[in-house]
Amino acid sequence: MIKVKNLYHSYSNDDHYAVNDVNFEIKKGEIFGFLGPSGAGKSTTQNILVGLLQLQKGSVEVAGYDVKHIKNKMFNKIGMSFEQSNVYSKMSGLENLEFYRKLFDVETRDPMDLIKLVGLDGKENIKAGKYSKGMKHRLTFARSMINNPEIWFLDEPTTGLDPSIASSIKDIIKEENEKGVTIFLTTHNMYIADELCDRVAFIVDGKIRLIDSPKELKLKYGEKLVVVEYVKEGKLIEDTFSTVVKEEKERLVEVIEKYEIQTMHTKEATLEEIFIKVTGRGLI
Amino acid sequence: MKLWYSFSKELILSSKSWYFYIELGMAIVLLLILLFVVPENFETKGKEYIYLDLPEVVQERYKKNLREEDINEMAELVEVEAGSTIFDAELYETSESKIYLLNSIDALDAFSNTERVPVIHVHVNEDNQIIHTYYLQGYETQKLRNLLMVYHNRLAGHDVVQDYSDNIKVRKLYQEIKPLSDKENIIPVFLTFNGSLMSLFIIAAYIFLDKNEGTIKAYAITASSVWHYLFSKIGVIILTSIATSLIITIPVMGLQPNYPAMFLFIGTSGFFAASLGLLITSYYNDIVEAFGVMYIVIVIMIMPNISYFTPSWDPNWVKIIPSYVMLQSFKEIISVNGNMTYVLIASLGFAAIGLDIFILANYRFKKTLTL
Repeated sequence: MIKVKNLYHSYSNDDHYAVNDVNFEIKKGEIFGFLGPSGAGKSTTQNILVGLLQLQKGSVEVAGYDVKHIKNKMFNKIGMSFEQSNVYSKMSGLENLEFYRKLFDVETRDPMDLIKLVGLDGKENIKAGKYSKGMKHRLTFARSMINNPEIWFLDEPTTGLDPSIASSIKDIIKEENEKGVTIFLTTHNMYIADELCDRVAFIVDGKIRLIDSPKELKLKYGEKLVVVEYVKEGKLIEDTFSTVVKEEKERLVEVIEKYEIQTMHTKEATLEEIFIKVTGRGLI
Repeated sequence: MKLWYSFSKELILSSKSWYFYIELGMAIVLLLILLFVVPENFETKGKEYIYLDLPEVVQERYKKNLREEDINEMAELVEVEAGSTIFDAELYETSESKIYLLNSIDALDAFSNTERVPVIHVHVNEDNQIIHTYYLQGYETQKLRNLLMVYHNRLAGHDVVQDYSDNIKVRKLYQEIKPLSDKENIIPVFLTFNGSLMSLFIIAAYIFLDKNEGTIKAYAITASSVWHYLFSKIGVIILTSIATSLIITIPVMGLQPNYPAMFLFIGTSGFFAASLGLLITSYYNDIVEAFGVMYIVIVIMIMPNISYFTPSWDPNWVKIIPSYVMLQSFKEIISVNGNMTYVLIASLGFAAIGLDIFILANYRFKKTLTL
């Protein structure tokens, strides 16, 4: 659904590239996470993919369309939820969606259904300017689904939302993905990427450092350890055991047999830890 | 259809914005000024303040001459105020001036010192010659001073001046055009600045509002074209300009103007001005950044006003400033038997140049959507 080859972009039209030789492909129905700290080139890449920035160098194909010669029809197939809410503040939530649905040539979703989906029902006739930040964000998110996009670009979809709403947004993303929607997720939140993405790309200083599935990354970079909490002589003890070193494995079996186990966890590396390990950079 | 949807949306949004009501409100204010403040024709008669310090007989002869020149052939007794003091005076009104004969030298001093106007003390010298002493204020030109000297000195050429002025023939170039009254003559200025040129600033305000809200980016991720978005804004602005122009024109001029020509010209000149506004806004993120360029544009566009009200100052470079053409076109539109060929050519010109600028602005917007 998305093919990016040797993509470069410079805001100053010189050799200082914000995006530097980026290559990746995204298959239909995949959730692809684009992860990196602020200024890494995530938004630049995404803006080129959706035509907000002109393609300078390289080739980009989105939904079968060459982004170099972008056509309006392409936008019937894509949707984008912006990190910064951008709705008409003088129009109600419902009016916003009613207006945007008329700008597509394909069958669109019922605005009221979308309003309900993101939990704004009952507030659909209030001017968007009077919505809270979270409500505006949900309206922006709902608007991005209005044309039933085949490719859905999500820029920090849960940022600034309270945990329960963030959770429902994640559920919506999963549901849409199950329907076959391809998702390009831009975020610096490794937890949401870990939970949702089939594959992730780490981007730093405009260059992609690594592309793989979260599971493979954890297997590759995570330490194979088990953390056990058990009661010994009336005291709660926490101990860590390797699952690959023979002596450690025997000691773990002994602990399990002899003592009362309170908790037991495999200690996998988080995506954030892997990111730092691979790129040498934090995510903020 | 998408263009129509965008236009309807812009119409709804503008009806909910302050700019829309500011424009309408301003049109009403300008109308009220025209109706209640601006006279049909401005007072162009000069005022002269004279004290006749002359013997009774000479004074009577002087007044007799004034009465003969007076429109009503009689003096009117009036009270005039200088500073905070009221003085009695005789008023003689000729076709060219209002002459106040003051009744004391104190009154003359008061007008000279507090009202800061030139005054004339008429008296006789030792040789029984009538002397006109002018108390000028210092701002009078040398030409005026020379003229006064010539006027009071027959030997130096008074007869020549009289003869010359009596033989001046005035021939109207456009016999069929009825001249506009002073009040009507101001309307083209209001139509140009509140109508056509205001489009430039209002569209900039709308665009910067959208840039601030980020809605322009959201629009760009739809199957509608950027030009739809830009053109729908221009459409709303032209519609507003037509409404404000009608508010100003109809109550003052009734059905005299050529309204179809007016709609055409507002459409094309508004399209030009709004496209120019779009092009300027495509280079900036907010109105503060764009203010410098906007200010320069305002100053340039104001220049033709000087030429409009002072026809003797009409250099060629002023004629290429768009507001010059707008002023002249609106003047033709509201005049009886105005030159519609000029208006049509001007409309075509604005449409053609406006289209070029619009295409450029559209290209710029597509290129700079993430600004």
